[in-house]
Amino acid sequence: MSQENFLDQDTSFSPANENTGIRAKIIGIGGAGMSLVDGLRFDDFQGVDHLVMDVDGRALSDSIASEKLAFGRRHTRGMGTGGEFVLARKAIEEEKDLVRQKLEGIDVVFLLAGLGGGTGGGAVPVVARLARDAGALVFAFTPLPFSWEKGRHAQAEECLAELRKHANAVVPLPNDSLIQMGGPDATALECFAEAGRNVGKGISAICSLIFRRGMIDVDFAHLKKAFNRRAGRTLFGYGEGEGPDAIRHALRELMVCPMLHLPDVSKAADALLILITGGTGMSMKALQQASTEIRAEFKAGQHVVFGAHVDENMGDCVQITVLGATDIGAGSAKADVTPASEHVMAASPKARKAHESKLASTKPVARSSSSRKRSKAKDSIDQNTFDFMEDGNQRGIFDDLPSRNLYEGEDLDVPAYLRRGVKIAV
Amino acid sequence: MSKIIGAVEIGTSKAKALVGEVTAEGGLSIVGMASRPNEGVRKGEIVDYRKAATAVHAALEEAEKMSGTTVDSVYLAQTGAHLRGQMLRGSASVSSSDNRVSVSDLERASKEAKRRQPETGRSYVHHIRTPIILDEKVVEDPVGMLGDKIDLGYWSIDGDDQAIRLALHVISNYSLEVADLILSSIASSTMMAGPDLRRAGTLVIDMGAGVTDLALYRQGYVAFTGVVPVGGDHVTGDLSMGLRILEPYAEKLKIEHGTASSRSSDDKEEVWIIGNKTIGDRSVPRKAISDVIHVRVVELFEIISKELGGLLDPDELKGGVLLTGGGSLLPGIEEIAGKVLGLPVRRASFPPGIAPELAQPENATVLGLLHYGLQDHGLPGRKAGESQTIMSKIAGLVGIGMN
Repeated sequence: MSQENFLDQDTSFSPANENTGIRAKIIGIGGAGMSLVDGLRFDDFQGVDHLVMDVDGRALSDSIASEKLAFGRRHTRGMGTGGEFVLARKAIEEEKDLVRQKLEGIDVVFLLAGLGGGTGGGAVPVVARLARDAGALVFAFTPLPFSWEKGRHAQAEECLAELRKHANAVVPLPNDSLIQMGGPDATALECFAEAGRNVGKGISAICSLIFRRGMIDVDFAHLKKAFNRRAGRTLFGYGEGEGPDAIRHALRELMVCPMLHLPDVSKAADALLILITGGTGMSMKALQQASTEIRAEFKAGQHVVFGAHVDENMGDCVQITVLGATDIGAGSAKADVTPASEHVMAASPKARKAHESKLASTKPVARSSSSRKRSKAKDSIDQNTFDFMEDGNQRGIFDDLPSRNLYEGEDLDVPAYLRRGVKIAV
Repeated sequence: MSKIIGAVEIGTSKAKALVGEVTAEGGLSIVGMASRPNEGVRKGEIVDYRKAATAVHAALEEAEKMSGTTVDSVYLAQTGAHLRGQMLRGSASVSSSDNRVSVSDLERASKEAKRRQPETGRSYVHHIRTPIILDEKVVEDPVGMLGDKIDLGYWSIDGDDQAIRLALHVISNYSLEVADLILSSIASSTMMAGPDLRRAGTLVIDMGAGVTDLALYRQGYVAFTGVVPVGGDHVTGDLSMGLRILEPYAEKLKIEHGTASSRSSDDKEEVWIIGNKTIGDRSVPRKAISDVIHVRVVELFEIISKELGGLLDPDELKGGVLLTGGGSLLPGIEEIAGKVLGLPVRRASFPPGIAPELAQPENATVLGLLHYGLQDHGLPGRKAGESQTIMSKIAGLVGIGMN
C-alpha cells in the first residue's frame, strides 16, 4: 500500500472519534531523528505534537516540525557536535528545564534519534529520562549505524545501553537490517525510506490505539500497564496484505519483516502489542486466528494488548503492527535463570533490598509471581550490564552465548551478510 | 598381543568415539565407531557439561559395544578459540668432547625450548616439534653426528585451563584415561595430508560445525596452527536470520540446497522450507540461500588469509590447500577458497584402507587422532613412550600428583 493511501485512511477519522485527554509528542533529536520526524505526518491526530531538537541551528531551521528546540549554543555556537556525544549530553543537561517544559503534560513520548551521531546519541538518553520523570510512557525508535562503521557503532551501543535504562521500549533499527527492506532492487535510500515509513506506521498504530475507538479497543491504561517497566529487548514489526487472504499475507509479510530479524530465543515477548487494521470485511474469525498465531510466534507472556481497528477505506487491505518488549534473560533461559537469580537474591540481603525498592517504584501493584520473577531475573542481569552486548539482537543462534566473537572489531557471530551490507531478497 | 586404544572428539555438532586395535606388528584397524549429536558444545568449547558428557558417553558406549572390547585410554581432540599457538625455540651446545651429538644434548635443547611457562590459568595442550637444526642444517636424527650446536623448536599450543579441564572431566567420568591431548587440526591434517604433501608444503582447513581448524605444513613440519571460531553453525545461523526461518529448517536448507555461490541458472528457482507444503511452509529463492552462504564463506577465507599472512606463499605451499570437515561438502567451496586464498584448493581425500563408511570428511579429526597418537613424536634416540607424557601436561589441571 502506498503512502497516499495510508494518509487517506487517517484523514477519514473525525476528531469527534478521538480521545483528546491524552497527549503524545513525537520528538526527533539530531540529524537522523529530525529527518525521520519530517518524514511522518500525523497532523490528523489531535493531541500529537512534533518537536525536533538539535544543536545545529541551520539543520533545525530546515525542519518542518511544529516545535523546535535548539540547545547547546554555548558549546557549539549553533554548529554540530562533530560526533561528540559527550558534548551533546552536557549541552542537554544544561537545558533540562527547557526540555521539562516541553514535556509537561505529555503522556506518550516517541523518541526518534540516530544513535551513531553525536547529538542523537548524547541527548536521547537524557530526554528519555526527563520524559520518564515527567510520567510519560517512552517509546524510542533508534537507527543504529552499520557495523562496519566501527567507532560509531561502539558509541551507539553505549548510548543504547544508556537509553534502555530510561525508556519503556527501545526499538533499535540497525542499518544493517534496514538495508534488507524493500524489494530486491531497492537502493539503500529506498530501503531507509521504507524503514522510515514502517516506523511511521508503528507510531501511527500506537497512536490510533490510544486516540481512536476500534473494533477491539485498548485504552491507554492497558498500554501503560503492559509497557510499564524498563526496556529489555524490544521487537517491532510491520506487515500488510491485500486480497481475500489479506490477513494471511500480512502475517507472512510480518514474519519476514527485516526489522524482526531475530533469533528464535529473543522472539519471546513478555509484553506484546498487536494492532490489526483492516477494511470492513475483516472477519472476527480471521482476527482471532491472526492473534493466536502472533502470540504463538512471539511466545507472548501475559501482557498482550490486542487491538483491532476497522477502517472502511482500507478495502480488502490489512495491516498488522507488532511491538513487543522482553525482559532480558527471559525467553528460553527463563526457567533456568529464575531459580538461580532468586538464590543470588536470597544470598545477598542487600541486593534484595535495593531490588525491592525498585519494584515498589515501578510497580505499585503487586503482580503475579511470574512477572516478579522475570523482573528479578532482569535486575540481576542488569547489574552485570550485559544489556548492551545483546542489543540489536543480531547474533542469531549465538545470542545465548555470553561473550561476543570479536575479530578486528566485528562480531563474527553476527551474520556476515548483515555486517557486509549484502541485501538478501526473500 | 594387540592393544586397544580409543579416540574421542567432543565436536560442536557431534561427539565422536573411535575404538582401534593396534596389532603386534603395529597395524591399526578400526573396530568400533559411533557418533552422537552433541548440544553441549558451541564453537568447539563445552558450554553445557552435562549435555556434552551424555553425548560423549553414549558414543563411547556404542563404540565399545560395536568393538566388543573395552577401552582403557583415549586420545582427546582439542579445539576452540581459547587455544593459542606460538613457536618456542631452544638450543644447546654439543657437550661431548668429540663433538658427537648425544641424546642428552637434544634433551637440554628441548628443555630450554619448553622452559617458558604459559600465563596463569593456561596450560600447554600440545607441543609439536619442528625440525632439529645441527649447525644451521636441518637433520632428521642428529644423534651420533658431529657438530657444535643443536637448535630445535616446538610449535606450542596453550589453552584455557577451565576449558581443558571440562573436556578431561568428560573422559574421566567415563572412567577412562586420557592418553594424550591432540590438537584437532593436527589430527585431521595428519590424516588427510600424507608425508609427501607435508614435505611439499600444504595448508589443511578443517571446516567443522563450530570452528574452522587450520594447520600449515612447510617442509614436512608444522609451521602454524590456528582456530577460527566460525563454522557451519554460523552458516546455519545466517540462513536462519536472513531467510527468517527456524534453525532446524535453516540447517536442512543448507545441507540440501546450500551452495557457496549462486549460479545464474537458478536465480529464479525457489525451494520449499519445510518441504511438505503444509501450512506455514513457504518457498525461498535459491539465490537468497547462496547469497547468504557466499558472504559468510568468503569472509571466513578472508580471515584465514589474514591470519596466515606471509605464510600463504605459493612457493612454500606446493601441495596446495586441502579442505576437510563437514563444511567442505558445501558445493562450490573450493572455487571460493581458491579465489580468496590465491592457491590451488581441493577437497582432501582419505588415504586408501579406510572403510568407505568411515571415510567422511567430518571424521577426519577423530580418525586422525588415532593415526597421530600412535606415531612416535618424541625426540630421536629415545623410545616411544619415554617422551613427555600426558601427565606432565595436565597434572596440575586434574590435581593429581606425578613422579
